[in-house]
Amino acid sequence: MSEATTSLPAPQGADSVPLSIERSRAASEIGAAIAHQLNGPLTALLLYVNDLHINSDRFQDDGRRGPSLKQIAEKALQEVERACALIQQISDASVAAPPDEAAITRGRDVIAWWSRAAPGAGRPLPVTDDRTLEDRAIEANSHDHVLTRREREVLRLVAQGLTNKEGALRLSIGPRTFESHRARIMRKFKAKNAADLVRMALQTGTPADGHETKADCTS
Amino acid sequence: MEAFGQAPYDVSPHTEPLRVLVIDDDPSVSTAIQAILSRRNGETEIASRAHAGIHALASSHFDVVMIDIFMPGLNGLDTITHIRRGRTIPIIAMSGFRLRGLSGSDDYLDMAVQRGASGWLRKPFSPQQLFEAIEKSLCIRARDPIQ
Repeated sequence: MSEATTSLPAPQGADSVPLSIERSRAASEIGAAIAHQLNGPLTALLLYVNDLHINSDRFQDDGRRGPSLKQIAEKALQEVERACALIQQISDASVAAPPDEAAITRGRDVIAWWSRAAPGAGRPLPVTDDRTLEDRAIEANSHDHVLTRREREVLRLVAQGLTNKEGALRLSIGPRTFESHRARIMRKFKAKNAADLVRMALQTGTPADGHETKADCTS
Repeated sequence: MEAFGQAPYDVSPHTEPLRVLVIDDDPSVSTAIQAILSRRNGETEIASRAHAGIHALASSHFDVVMIDIFMPGLNGLDTITHIRRGRTIPIIAMSGFRLRGLSGSDDYLDMAVQRGASGWLRKPFSPQQLFEAIEKSLCIRARDPIQ
């Protein structure tokens, strides 16, 4: 199946199907991984806010107008519970197939890349034992200079999770042109799907070249 | 819910502090558990990787271990298997995933129980669920004839 993808660019009809299947699979994997990443902070929030709420009888009335601190604690808890329910829905809906540990790591990588400006900026990427992927990345690394400027731009947008249509709009090119750029990059990287592509791009450092990261300002 | 409304609720009333080991690569979760339990006579140690957790278990006493399923390196399921080889300590598995495992209808948390976890918590969980899971796992241990 990956053969069909790597043989792009090609006539629209035949190849657009496997590519979109792979894209949705990658989106699903990454969606699940993002839900996974948000789950931790939300768990912490739920614990903290619940505790505030449980103890909100002790809040002293500060004499201000409007809702009391106790009522605010209650509202906060309701909103956190809503967010928790949403994230559970997302993680349930994202998973068509069981993602393996490598998929989760890929999702983590994407988030790590998005959030380079976050407090943990500069930390090394999570280690994965997905050897073949790394091997391919190393191999791709030796060829990454082959990527054209436009391909780098496309790669950056793909890694940001944009669809072909959105990416094309951003670059003011046709979606099919965007797709063929993307297919060419996938071929160069020997990537099986978008998540694969993002991961290898991270390992080679390619997207960062064109990515205006805020991390540069914070360190 | 009101049962836990009588603050402060103690996880370990009238006794020594309850010693809890939390093995989770996400510091948000482990620090929150630590904060919540420390206000209720709980003493929590944190390990961000399975190996560090296993080492902590070998070097000091704990009443309960809480283990995240998805961790880089040794995952939670294998960690439970490893711990269960030599210990009867109550283990609570945690996971945010409602995914199905490869073996048909088994959920990861079910798999954790099959490997010897005494209980589980689906993230995100409330303090009430946390206390209940701890209490339940302690009861299981109390009934456990093996030593």
